Amino acid sequence: MAKEKKNSSMRTRRIIADTVTHIVLAVLAFIWVIPIVWIILLSFSTQKGSYVTSFFPKGYTLKNYVKLFTDIQVLNFPQMFKNTFIIACFVCVISTFFVLSAAYCYSRLRFKMRKPLMNVSMILGLFPGFMSMVAVYYILKAVGLSEGSMIRVALILVYSGGAAIQFTIAKGFFDTVPKSLDEAAYLDGATKFQVFTKVTVPLSKPIIVYTVLTSFLSPWLDFIFAKVICRANAEYYTVSVGLWKMLEKEYIDNWYTSFAAGAVCISIPIAILFVIMQKYYTDGLSGAVKG
Amino acid sequence: MKAKKITALMMASAMVLSLAACGSNQETTETKADQSAEEQTASTEAASAAEGETISTTMTVWAPSEDQAEDKGAWLQTMCDQFNAEHPEWDITFEYGVCAEGDAKSTVTQDVEGAADVYMFANDNLTSLISSNAIAKIGGQTADAVKSSNSAEIVDSVSVDGDIYGVPFTTNTWFLYYDKSVFSEDDVKNLDTMLEKGKVSFPITNSWYIASFYVANGCTLFGEDGTDEAAGIDFSGDKAVDVTNYLVDLVANPNFLSDADGAGLSGLRDGSVNAIFSGSWDAEAVKEALGDNYGVTSLPAITINGEEKQMKSFAGSKAIGVNPNCEYPQIAVALANYLGSAEAQKAHYEMRSVIPCNTELLAEDAISADVLVTAQNDTFNNTSIIQPFVSKMGDYWTPAENFGKSLVNKEVTHDNAAEMTENFNTSMNTSAVE
Repeated sequence: MAKEKKNSSMRTRRIIADTVTHIVLAVLAFIWVIPIVWIILLSFSTQKGSYVTSFFPKGYTLKNYVKLFTDIQVLNFPQMFKNTFIIACFVCVISTFFVLSAAYCYSRLRFKMRKPLMNVSMILGLFPGFMSMVAVYYILKAVGLSEGSMIRVALILVYSGGAAIQFTIAKGFFDTVPKSLDEAAYLDGATKFQVFTKVTVPLSKPIIVYTVLTSFLSPWLDFIFAKVICRANAEYYTVSVGLWKMLEKEYIDNWYTSFAAGAVCISIPIAILFVIMQKYYTDGLSGAVKG
Repeated sequence: MKAKKITALMMASAMVLSLAACGSNQETTETKADQSAEEQTASTEAASAAEGETISTTMTVWAPSEDQAEDKGAWLQTMCDQFNAEHPEWDITFEYGVCAEGDAKSTVTQDVEGAADVYMFANDNLTSLISSNAIAKIGGQTADAVKSSNSAEIVDSVSVDGDIYGVPFTTNTWFLYYDKSVFSEDDVKNLDTMLEKGKVSFPITNSWYIASFYVANGCTLFGEDGTDEAAGIDFSGDKAVDVTNYLVDLVANPNFLSDADGAGLSGLRDGSVNAIFSGSWDAEAVKEALGDNYGVTSLPAITINGEEKQMKSFAGSKAIGVNPNCEYPQIAVALANYLGSAEAQKAHYEMRSVIPCNTELLAEDAISADVLVTAQNDTFNNTSIIQPFVSKMGDYWTPAENFGKSLVNKEVTHDNAAEMTENFNTSMNTSAVE
């Protein structure tokens, strides 16, 4: 009897705990999702001006999106979107390669100065990148990348150049891949690069997906470098500069709802990339080592 | 083997470094020489223009995006092409960049040598532009033209220590938009009368606006003319406390709405607000919201302790400046002069409704009939002060905004008005960076 009682009381306690946890999580999820729902609703709103009186718009329309993509004389959003997309594609490839290579070297190769180098890059990584923006601008200017279409190249370099510093997470992941796999490959006569491409990379899909996603994101999110490097060259603006412009005193009344539409639009390529890569998020190690 | 490789690498990098150093050295000396030569030419101004030789050059011009928009008449391109056509002695290829007048401070000073030869700036940017050596003094005929075609206030707004730094083309200030069906022309002369008859919205949490009340009651910023940096901001004593008390009542008035995040304009649209304070950039939206009842005029007065005091807004101007690093200062100055000429201002007004400031142009019937132009110019001439652009003015903005917020939040009351005003005055006169 006593045992049964104990069991049932434990069960009630667990049910209560679960309910409380789920309620808390539901509330948090709700709070977290509200801004996103709000910006999506706003992007379809018929309202004019920047003052929002109600959560749900009074009418729904697509004209904010139409304006965003057709009213290109003053703020050329399609051009900015194209610029950012091109830059993001290059950055994604280059910085993923940098990050994975650096992480692999730190994880698997043993060389003099490995520890000090790791520490130095860790510490450098702690400083916000825009601290050096003026210096970066003058360096780019000195090598002739600050004018014309070279601005795109400059932005690609800026976003991908320092990527290797973010090696820590990838290195941590590579450390969990058993060394015995590498050794087996070496015994079969593989070179270091072959081990990297044929053994480590296929086993590290989750971290590769993570790296690809974060590096694809950076050009969409960065504002400071885009502003400093593009200066007055409006045809090379990225979306973040454009969205910021839409909220300036002269434009805000006219562009506020289109700003929301723009914010929704930039989430589309990112979402597509995520959906494509999502399936690789499953455990990359399963079935690699036979027990 | 390894050691050899390393030495080779080091030598190579040393070579690259020294080469790079060489290059930059040369560049700086060159530009220095250029600069001093240019300063001379700039002061004699346009002397070499008459030499008869055709000069082929590229000029970079920065202006706001709207000035270059095709659907708004592409004012900048049109004007620059006309300028080129009028000067057969110069063969100029124009390059255009986008930089709003208010951004000149940050965008031009970021890299002065790489910035445009001719650009537009808001006059409150002037101190920073001068201190980074990004703007040339304008002398000779152009300066005379500026003086003769603009009011003294406008000339002052682009001058520092008696030197003119730009060719002004419009004024920049804020004034009153109202609903004619609610307020009569007499009502809008006093804010208190307006508050009895309809709902008024004022951006009290915006530091560009709030000073107007204090200035009305005799408070000053940097002396009488706004250029005496040592005088500091004087919002002290009874004259300021009276205003604070007035504002406490104003905020408590049910017919008053604090305008933030576009609340005023939105209220005008749905009819819950009958008057707002804003500038020419909102003119289209207000016109659309009010239709036939669209009214616009200079600032009203306020009644403090039974006396009528005139509110005074901050006013500035927008002007065209010349980069001292440009290759042909005579061409750049001539272009700046042309872009600020009566003809160009007229085109600017017709294409983009940029309000002209040229005195002859303002006298023209077509332009003086525009109520918006009249309102802005009345405000500029009668109910405004030139926004001080001494560098200490930078300490004004944040305390003023915070004070506006505490007024709206009712943290400032009649009981603590004196103390709060004194704190406000102290914080404005204390540099935040020290």
